[in-house]
Amino acid sequence: MQIYLPIAEMSVDALLLVGLGFLVGWLSGLFGVGGGFLLTPLLILIGVPPAVAVASGANQTLGASVSGLIAQARRANVDWPMGAVLVAGGLAGSLAGVQLFALLRRLGQLDAAVALSYVVILGVVGALMVMESLRALLRRRRALPARMHQHGWAHGLPFKMRFRKSRLYMSALPPLAIGFGIGVLSAIMGVGGGFMLVPAMIYLLGMPTAVVIGTSLLHIVCVTAAVTFLQAVQLGAVDIVLTLLLLLGGVAGAQLGVAMGGRLRGEETRALLGLLVLAVAALLLWNLIAPPEEPFSVERAPW
Amino acid sequence: MAEGSEDKARRDRVFLVVVDDTPERAVALRYASLRAARSGGRVALLRVVEPVEQAEWAGIGAMMRRERHEEAEALLAGLAAQVKEITGGLPILIIREGQPAEELLALLDEDPRISILVLATSTAGRGPGPLITALTGKLAARLSVPMTIVPGGMSEQELDRVT
Repeated sequence: MQIYLPIAEMSVDALLLVGLGFLVGWLSGLFGVGGGFLLTPLLILIGVPPAVAVASGANQTLGASVSGLIAQARRANVDWPMGAVLVAGGLAGSLAGVQLFALLRRLGQLDAAVALSYVVILGVVGALMVMESLRALLRRRRALPARMHQHGWAHGLPFKMRFRKSRLYMSALPPLAIGFGIGVLSAIMGVGGGFMLVPAMIYLLGMPTAVVIGTSLLHIVCVTAAVTFLQAVQLGAVDIVLTLLLLLGGVAGAQLGVAMGGRLRGEETRALLGLLVLAVAALLLWNLIAPPEEPFSVERAPW
Repeated sequence: MAEGSEDKARRDRVFLVVVDDTPERAVALRYASLRAARSGGRVALLRVVEPVEQAEWAGIGAMMRRERHEEAEALLAGLAAQVKEITGGLPILIIREGQPAEELLALLDEDPRISILVLATSTAGRGPGPLITALTGKLAARLSVPMTIVPGGMSEQELDRVT
């Protein structure tokens, strides 16, 4: 069933899109991750232009994160002042990221830049995940990573704020910078960035783990909403037909994934997730370096 | 002789209080402590921590789990001091991980020392609270010890009077 996507300017099989949404929703429910980092590269691989793929990925992550944020907020697991500082950085970052995105598009380097940043980041993250779970599988009792408690470099910075819920008294600059970085990433790659934001909040800021998930979801929801909006306004890159079809499959898939995720826990699942991330990175890399099937194409000139 | 064994049974009985995050847990705790102090027995405190959801990083999942257990230990240590003030003895502290109702039933099956479960009703007016609802409803058949339900709105004086 071919349908024409007005913004992406291509026709695709509607069932393929629903199926893709289902697959990504299922995986994100199963592993408890956002799904943007899977959806965006998959869309690029089936031939959707990167600008549209990134906007759709951000939108998908937004949808997947809202219900999580509501649940965490109800249990008072959100540090709102810390979240506000992170979001302030994140909004500035997404604004800068969308400008960078537009600049790359004008230079004609967008496709390569998006694909390359995916290959690098997914490659690193996937390798780390697989290594971590392999190490844990090999010796079940592992030493826990130490948390950086005294971060001397951040103590001299100005604009100190008190974050009561996180039991922190620290400068607002480090969370602002982390929010900014993730915001740029979010705008260029269409991901929520939870897989980098959560470790940064724990190891760099020293936040207690109880409030990290809720506070990171606040950041993800605000920033992916901003990215979707900015992409739509600045680049006209949000395709409503594409989004609707993906959402249709995504909602059903996520329900199934969450139901199955309860029975599938532990190191084995985490190793699988790492392998999946690596596989996506490898596919994108292959797409970048493989010689095209027809190096030249000849067409009759229109005159 | 008969009196001696009765005394021993009284000393050995254990009042189990489930420590959750509701305001009425103080009522259940005070009732159990007063009963233990006045008529013999000990208090046990059970805290059920939530299992860690699937986290992207194993190290962070492990750290979450450890911090939840530390938090539960700190909470129980604080409540244990309150129990000691009333009963004079330290309570038994139990931390388990999982669904509250399931873990409670599993504990009752495994630990024969526990003789009475003490729960307080919610005062919010939306039913007696999830645990009481479950234990008097669907899970009632699996309960292996008597259960005392304390109205959550009772004041300290009223609790003093009925114990």
